[in-house]
Amino acid sequence: MNDPIIAIAFFVLAAVLLISALAVVMLRNIVHSALFLALAFVSVAGFYILLNAEFLAAVQILIYAGAVMILLLFAIMLTQRANTPMSNVSNSQAGLAAIVAAAVFVVLAFVLSKTSWLTGAAAVTQPNTEVLGKALFDYYVLPFEIASVLLLVAMIGAIVIARED
Amino acid sequence: MSEATATSGNTALDTKIKTDQIVVNMGPQHPSTHGVLRLMLTLDGETVVDAEVVLGYLHRGFEKLCEEGTYTQNISLTDRLDYFNSMNNNWAYVKAVEMIMGIEVPERAEYLRVIMSELQRLVSHLACTGFYVSDIGAMHTPLLYAFRQREEILDLFEMACGARMTCNYFRIGGVSKDVPDGWIARLKAFLDQLPSKIDELEGLLTGNEILVARSKGVGVMTSEMAINYSITGPCLRATGVQFDLRKDVPYSVYPRLSFNVPTLRNGDVMDRFLLRILEMRECVKIIKQAIEQLPEGEVRTPVPLNLRPPIGEALSRIEGPKGEMGYYVVSDGSIAPYRVHQRPPCFINLGIARELFIGTKVADVVAILASLDPIMGEVDR
Amino acid sequence: MDVINNIFLIGRQIIATVLGFFLPLPVVDAVIAIISMALVLGFAAVTMMGQVYVERRVLGFMQDRKGPNRVGPFGLLQIIADAIKLLTKEDIMPSRVDRMVFRLAPIVVVATALLIWAVVPLGRGMIIADLNIGILYVISISSVGVLGFLMAGWSSNNKYALLGSMRAAAQMVSYEIPLVLSIIGIIMLTGSLSTVSIVNAQAGLWFVIWQPLGFVIYFISAVAEINRSPFDLVEGESEIVAGYFIEYSGMRFALFYLGEYISAFAMSAIATTLFLGGWQGPILPPYIWFVIKAWAVFIVLIWIRATLPRLRVDQLMGLAWKVLIPLALINIFVTAVVLVPLFQSVAK
Repeated sequence: MNDPIIAIAFFVLAAVLLISALAVVMLRNIVHSALFLALAFVSVAGFYILLNAEFLAAVQILIYAGAVMILLLFAIMLTQRANTPMSNVSNSQAGLAAIVAAAVFVVLAFVLSKTSWLTGAAAVTQPNTEVLGKALFDYYVLPFEIASVLLLVAMIGAIVIARED
Repeated sequence: MSEATATSGNTALDTKIKTDQIVVNMGPQHPSTHGVLRLMLTLDGETVVDAEVVLGYLHRGFEKLCEEGTYTQNISLTDRLDYFNSMNNNWAYVKAVEMIMGIEVPERAEYLRVIMSELQRLVSHLACTGFYVSDIGAMHTPLLYAFRQREEILDLFEMACGARMTCNYFRIGGVSKDVPDGWIARLKAFLDQLPSKIDELEGLLTGNEILVARSKGVGVMTSEMAINYSITGPCLRATGVQFDLRKDVPYSVYPRLSFNVPTLRNGDVMDRFLLRILEMRECVKIIKQAIEQLPEGEVRTPVPLNLRPPIGEALSRIEGPKGEMGYYVVSDGSIAPYRVHQRPPCFINLGIARELFIGTKVADVVAILASLDPIMGEVDR
Repeated sequence: MDVINNIFLIGRQIIATVLGFFLPLPVVDAVIAIISMALVLGFAAVTMMGQVYVERRVLGFMQDRKGPNRVGPFGLLQIIADAIKLLTKEDIMPSRVDRMVFRLAPIVVVATALLIWAVVPLGRGMIIADLNIGILYVISISSVGVLGFLMAGWSSNNKYALLGSMRAAAQMVSYEIPLVLSIIGIIMLTGSLSTVSIVNAQAGLWFVIWQPLGFVIYFISAVAEINRSPFDLVEGESEIVAGYFIEYSGMRFALFYLGEYISAFAMSAIATTLFLGGWQGPILPPYIWFVIKAWAVFIVLIWIRATLPRLRVDQLMGLAWKVLIPLALINIFVTAVVLVPLFQSVAK
């Protein structure tokens, strides 16, 4: 984080991410929340780029901001009710929730600062897409295939449930 | 839907995913309802579960207006019913009046009437086919190809009577005036190139895989349904019923001309348009024969300026491009008719629309509607 | 000759050297990046104006009419007249729309369309950012574009708009799959996701020769992805009037049009890059070759628009899932088993 441009980018992204994440929780209109969630996903992708994980960044946008968000919005918009402005349910325990959230943050911050992270000898600067691909299809091929089978099962299950006959 | 739920078992999987239906208004301002037709579609997703056809946005009280004008004045009102079909409207009306009065029409006028009527049939079919293809999204190219031919015919109309769409060419006892010099030659030249253009139009319909997929098996009408809804014209003949007033209740000089009444069997959108293509070819045949047989002579039996038909009534029937056109005229001996009633083929053909729409997709509604070829001027009158 | 071929690169070099005298290196890089972005955006904007003119004109000729020919010589200024008209129109905001989302939607559409240009190599070395995941970047950006359509459709508070945006989402999500699968063949041949290396790999034979099926699948899915005829169900003027932008007027409406044309040309540019050899070509400077090829693809799009009617929703989905995806999978299989070894032996 020595490069000033990277530092600026980091703090801008962090601000965007935090604000949008807060907006997801606090806005009253559920569609607005969903849109801010998309913004949060995109800013996470920005972090991946800062970490030289370009492939992850692209996949983050493609899957989260693209596919997952579209699906979410699709569901929300199709099931819209009369009082959309008040559709994001909330109750009067916001203060309590804030305290709990702050406590969790303190604990996490403490743990994170005390952990000694395993780091490589040098920072990752090379394009890592190829390495990632090799790892997925070579060393981790079994988990990869199992995950795909699992997704396939989920897909078939969804189709069976959704079918009307 | 509720019956199905009741009869099936009670396992958790049987819980139906409930979807809201939405009611969408198509029209009266909508690009593909051919004017001011309004459809209230109840949609489940993209599927039409109910449809209501709302009419009357273009109602002008035609029948009542006819009781105010003289017999000759009313001819110009009939122009404005089906504006793609003014010649045939003229004809059916003057025919009814002629029947009351017992007037014989000069032979040359009869032939001119046949020529004009068939040209008008070409105009109507060309426009209908062109609009159909543009309605299902082909960016007007086929429409303009069809309109190129229509333009020629309208030019011919303009030469003959001075107007392009609202022709007002027919008169009680004949036609308003003889066709000008050179008209027949121009008509012949037009007819010589027309068949290849009709082939081209047919190619656009049958040679386009997407169009075939959109039209085949869509909006299927059985002959029984068609007869029950008293559908006439191309829509009926596309179901396989061979009924054409020109053959079955011959009028004018049609018995002297040889032509076929084409029929097709499937009764879907595709067949309705293919049938129109086939009919266009027959039109060309009829006009060519009529030109050859066209005699010299008067084009109008003189009638008094202040026309007062004897007390009586008559029902005329002719085969219009959209179906059977009828006029029922009652005379009480004064200068204006006591009652004029029209049998509008567009209106009656539209009756089946609801039954055809239900269960289709929104996009099919547009295709089916175009294939029924409603012209709102005539539907609402 | 060399100077003409590399005129833009030389220009960049000169600017960088001059700035280097009095600015630190990161700032120079930033300035250069901003200048090239501005140039590419300018190119996209000018192209868009050309596109509208050419589309209307060519459609006119195909439809046996003249097209715009009144404003300026050959109607060349028509687009300017249109722009002035759109800019001076009242900006109508219907009463019960979601104002913020309504305003943002056209911006999202245009922005995502423009972002694609970052990885399109316009010539030798003429690219804003040579990402090593270039193609993946294009796909992810275009998948975000759907958000704009959904936002517009939902915020307009109109049934037609909602139907239109639902169609858009369903269509774009479905066609993204064959689109990605059709590109995989190329990635297998080059072993790289970078657009620059893909173009470099086509120095000999274009990939359209190696991947004819892939090209067809890509082209069909790309047309669906940019919602052009015969996949323009999203707008479906004869069914749902104008779809998601039914409530838009004035400049916001124009922004949707802008986005549509920019993404149409971006798709043509990507097709050129992936399958038609990018800027590779004899005699003419590379950037000219690129423009010629991209325009050729775009004119094919116009041609299709003038000829084909619209598919129905179920046929559209059927085409994607029952035809294109299986074909794309077959293509990947054939590429892996037959083409990759062949390609490598040819390359050696």
